[in-house]
Amino acid sequence: MRVVIAEDNALLREGLVLLLRTVGHDVVAVVRTGPEILPALLEHRPEAAVIDVRMPPTFRDEGLKAALAARQSLPGLPVLVLSQYVEQSYATELLGGGAGGVGYLLKDRVGRVEEFLEALDRVAAGGTALDPEVVTELLARRRNTPLDSLTAREQEVLALMAQGHDNPAIAQALVITERSVSKHIGNVFLKLGLPPTDSGHRRVLAVLAYLENRA
Amino acid sequence: MRRAVREAARATMYLVKSVALSIASYLFITVLLFTATGAVAVIGIGLLPETVLLIRRLAGIKREMVADRTGRPIPEAYVPITGRRVRERVRTAVRDPGTQADAIWVAAYYLYGNLGLLAVPLWVIGLPVDAVWCGLLRRRPVVLPMIGWLADLDADGSRILLRPSPKAALAQRVEQLAATRADAIVAHGAELRRIERDLHDGTQARLVSLSMRLGLAKRALEHDPRTVRELLDAAQDLAEDALTDLRHVVRGIHPPILTDRGLTGAVRALAASSGIPVTVADDGVDDGPRAPAAIEAAAYYIVAEALANAAKHSGCERVEVRIARTRKGLGVSVRDDGRGGATDTGPGTGLLGIQRRAAALDGRATVTSPAGGPTVIEAELPCVW
Repeated sequence: MRVVIAEDNALLREGLVLLLRTVGHDVVAVVRTGPEILPALLEHRPEAAVIDVRMPPTFRDEGLKAALAARQSLPGLPVLVLSQYVEQSYATELLGGGAGGVGYLLKDRVGRVEEFLEALDRVAAGGTALDPEVVTELLARRRNTPLDSLTAREQEVLALMAQGHDNPAIAQALVITERSVSKHIGNVFLKLGLPPTDSGHRRVLAVLAYLENRA
Repeated sequence: MRRAVREAARATMYLVKSVALSIASYLFITVLLFTATGAVAVIGIGLLPETVLLIRRLAGIKREMVADRTGRPIPEAYVPITGRRVRERVRTAVRDPGTQADAIWVAAYYLYGNLGLLAVPLWVIGLPVDAVWCGLLRRRPVVLPMIGWLADLDADGSRILLRPSPKAALAQRVEQLAATRADAIVAHGAELRRIERDLHDGTQARLVSLSMRLGLAKRALEHDPRTVRELLDAAQDLAEDALTDLRHVVRGIHPPILTDRGLTGAVRALAASSGIPVTVADDGVDDGPRAPAAIEAAAYYIVAEALANAAKHSGCERVEVRIARTRKGLGVSVRDDGRGGATDTGPGTGLLGIQRRAAALDGRATVTSPAGGPTVIEAELPCVW
């Protein structure tokens, strides 16, 4: 896979390059500042971009802005945004376009190499990868909602769905069969009053929209 | 004519109160003189601070009366008389420039306080004269308005005498600043200790433990690959926990989103993630120069705390957050449409935290929450833009 990396911290940058090259990805460009991101993406047209939120020169949310701009000028470009901390509104902005191929993860997750690479693959394939912490925050917000009627298992399934996992991955994570995953998902959608959606990015959006608007 | 009578009656009410107060002040003058002379004989000295406090109260009543009549309040500036030892109290009472100003006022009031009695002959003459002048000859009333001028004269004179001198205002300000600075230093110290403890007990301990596991894994590398895997798993868990700890510590020191998005953006992010419909009005706070980081952080935490309280306790449907530049600095207000009845001590002691945060920066926070709602939390944090 051809990847562009945007990260200003030398340690993390080298780590990411090493990691991606080790598993056989082709790192076509590495940029260190915000303004360089968009030109690099336009020049190389990678299959995925890994972008840090905080970049020079302002050290604010340059990376996120560049990622959003890139998705405007290159619709469908898979972008995985990494951040030192998660901020729910950033996730909302990234997913706001409605198109798939978006990821928003804590930098810590890079340490779980397999999971990180799997998330990158998922994003490159047009799916979603949302950090578990974002989902946890969304789930913890308010009580007395239909969410309380979900069983513990159903809540786990819901959280994994919101993170962007597909049915086989959920089955594997919870060590249950795919059939019971489908059953749980059916129950979740029924209890929350959501129309059943096929597996994939649309389903993630439906679940997130529900979690965000519930009040 | 009717209007003239009404005006005169209003002025008379004021003058009656003024005369009553002046008579009360005669009593106090006597007390003061008594203590002043008694001060030489040790008995009286203990009474001095109490007398000063009584005169302050008297002056306070007069200030209110004048404010009532003129619609313009007169500010007060006293150094609070605190401390348990009589000597300390006497020293504060004597050194406060407000005490001298009050003494001058009481003495002057002794003379001008009774001017109000002139209202009696003015009424007696005014009613028939103005009845003829105004009622029959259609001219403007002449005598009755003089009662109003009398009251205004009294009010204006009192304002000049009761206005805190720049020196007194300054003394009060210095006193206030010393107190808030002391609070701020204590709060800052507590904050540093908390951060130190978090880093020491959490992050540092985890990193030591992580390093130990890596060491053990190296030893086991040759003969026990299974154990190595377990040790590495544990090491990775510890590294992740340490990172989570660090994130929490950092967020507690300075919320990163403030750096990324400025105060307005950060407050909007809070609003979006609060789970209740929140409208944010920012009045262009982020245009132009930004407030100092400590002020922005305090404003952010105040809004966060207020929103958390609203979501948890108020049962509200919606919340309005407003941040604005004020004459003195940065103003924050959070208003919900919930059931009200929030107190500083009940559930949601976050309110106390809000007040402490504001006070540590020489600011002020007020919570109004009548039973039945709405709850309004307002804070003003002084700063230079």
